[in-house]
Amino acid sequence: MTVANRLFVVGLSWRTAEVAVREKLAFREDEIALVLQAMTSKLQVAEAILISTCNRVEVYGVAPPQGEAAAAVRAFLIDNRGAKPADLAGALYSHVGPDAVRHVFRVASALDSLVVGEAQILGQLKAAYAIAGKVGAAGPVLSRALERAFGAAKRVRTETAIARGAANVSSVAVELAKRVFGELRGKHVLVVGAGKMSTLAARHLYASGAARIVVTNRSPEKAEALAAEIDAIAKPWSELDALLAEADVVISSTGAREPILTRALFKKVMKARRWRPLVVIDIAVPRDAEPQIGDLDGVYLYNIDDLDKVVRANLAERAKAAEQATKIVEHEVGNFERWLRTQGVVPTIRALRDHFATIAQAELAKAHDQLARKDLTRDEQRALLDRVVQLVVNKLLHTPTSVLRGSEPDEATLRAAIACELFALAPAEAASEVEPPEQEDEEEEAEKARA
Amino acid sequence: MNPAGDRLLSVAPSPMFWVAAVAYAIAAVLLLLVLAGQARLRTLALVTVAIAWFAHGADIGWRGTEHVHPAESVREALGFLAFIITGGYLLASVRYRLTLGGVVVMPIALVMLLLARLTPAGSAPEDLSTLGRLHISLATIGVAIFALASVLSAIYLAEDRALKRKHFDAAAFEGGGAPLEALDRIAHRLIWVGFPIFTIALVLGAIWTTELGESLGRIEYALAAVTWVAYATLLVARQIYGWRGRRAARLALEGFATALAVVIVYLVRRATG
Repeated sequence: MTVANRLFVVGLSWRTAEVAVREKLAFREDEIALVLQAMTSKLQVAEAILISTCNRVEVYGVAPPQGEAAAAVRAFLIDNRGAKPADLAGALYSHVGPDAVRHVFRVASALDSLVVGEAQILGQLKAAYAIAGKVGAAGPVLSRALERAFGAAKRVRTETAIARGAANVSSVAVELAKRVFGELRGKHVLVVGAGKMSTLAARHLYASGAARIVVTNRSPEKAEALAAEIDAIAKPWSELDALLAEADVVISSTGAREPILTRALFKKVMKARRWRPLVVIDIAVPRDAEPQIGDLDGVYLYNIDDLDKVVRANLAERAKAAEQATKIVEHEVGNFERWLRTQGVVPTIRALRDHFATIAQAELAKAHDQLARKDLTRDEQRALLDRVVQLVVNKLLHTPTSVLRGSEPDEATLRAAIACELFALAPAEAASEVEPPEQEDEEEEAEKARA
Repeated sequence: MNPAGDRLLSVAPSPMFWVAAVAYAIAAVLLLLVLAGQARLRTLALVTVAIAWFAHGADIGWRGTEHVHPAESVREALGFLAFIITGGYLLASVRYRLTLGGVVVMPIALVMLLLARLTPAGSAPEDLSTLGRLHISLATIGVAIFALASVLSAIYLAEDRALKRKHFDAAAFEGGGAPLEALDRIAHRLIWVGFPIFTIALVLGAIWTTELGESLGRIEYALAAVTWVAYATLLVARQIYGWRGRRAARLALEGFATALAVVIVYLVRRATG
């Protein structure tokens, strides 16, 4: 089996398995090293890497030269996790050879991710590779494959727009706030109402550096509960005006039937805050904010549709970029496969070099002896050199010539063509040429006589 | 040589002038391409701006060795003004992505440089007094600072409009310009620095004009006064009422428009003798 065909992938991902299935095969980070050791020692697996994230569990491996490892790894995974084979029947997949290489490259480049272009997978893959490296499970083929895949991923990220633009509503809210404020460090976030979406957005803002989050709600209990959940401060609803004047980003998602954030209120608020900019994210349906407040100087109002529009536009851009990214990945996969194929001829190249070197060294050693023993004139030295070169050439060509002469006519033609290609020869017409006699034997006899 | 030629180039531009002019033009095109989505060209564009700026500086220095002071005349001051504006832009670009600003600044700098070097020089400048030189130098620096603030204000208005109208496609969204708050803050600080310089220039100009025995009733003096009032209003209103954002940006642009009108009137007067 060629090296290229020994590479395999076994696993499952969000494409083939729901979370309830994925969790059956998941590994904790501290389990991975032991599993890899078990896999490489007990199974016919020469090299292995195990990646386990919320969206995929996969083993990238290299089978030994005469072995079939994918099926064994599949059985091992099921057994190790104590899962029922029936539960994982449709979920587990295997790829072998070029398909496996392509899969690894696509995973690294986030082309196989749930959100195309997401950044986490590359870090997760690097961490998995590092663990395999520590326990000695990542050998030369996988190491090279992963490093080339990381290179492809880097190219994809820098040369395409695949990772650009926020891909969910909360991230868009953060991006919008950043367009107005730059850094969110030190900014105040006000959450009006206690909706689920506003919690997510507020968390995202907090993670991006916002200084504090204040929650206000008509029902103080709900405000307290939400504040406790997201590490925020609860304030009474009656202070809404003052809270608006202090905030930099407002996220509103109450269940009110009528707008709460009215133009009249905001005119007062903006004056009180001396027209410092205010980003209002209204994710309530029906809307909490009157659309007219967006016309006020310094107020940037976005509703759920606006955010969705950005998300859709960004995802469309990513999908477009994914086509370009696929081309890059295919190019890199091609490069890697070429490298893999050359690995098959490496031993031959090495043997050829050794063979040539041995013959040349032997003849040189004899020539050195003669030079040391005899007091030769310059002409004699020159003649000696000519003889050495002639001898080396004859010895090197002896076997290939014999093989060519002794071959069947069809095979001889083929071998002759290969020889021409290997040595970049352009032979003249055979009929017009008289075959040069092989001089080796005569030369060797003369050499012996001289010695 | 024909007489028009004598008038055209009182001191021939150095080769560095041509380098600067070509580099400004290339930089403008490159920045336009960056704005159109070729983000990879950003570094090249900024390097080209830097080349243009250094060549421009070298040209000013060379003119210095030929005894043509940057504050020798309004025409010379215009070239110096473009140099300061580009320098300010380069400095700000280190911190912020100001592609849109560059697309505005580069052609302006190029036109100013061409006007300063290739337009008729007018009659030979009279022997300038120290007062005159000081007035022209300070006015140039003041207007240059206002120009930078105006570029930022223009970008502010463009970005504010895009954000208000929710025009944010995916490509422009992340690679976009500097944040609004920063644009507003920097423009305000620049005006704070430029205003006292411009005020002193104005006072010195009034004294100089009186010394020369000229009337203070000319249109450019009235326009200069309007400029001063606009910026003074802006600073006071921000301090007292907290004016900022769109309103401040518009006022800053209006102030600069009158400042520019002053320079143009000076240039026309000089060119027509």
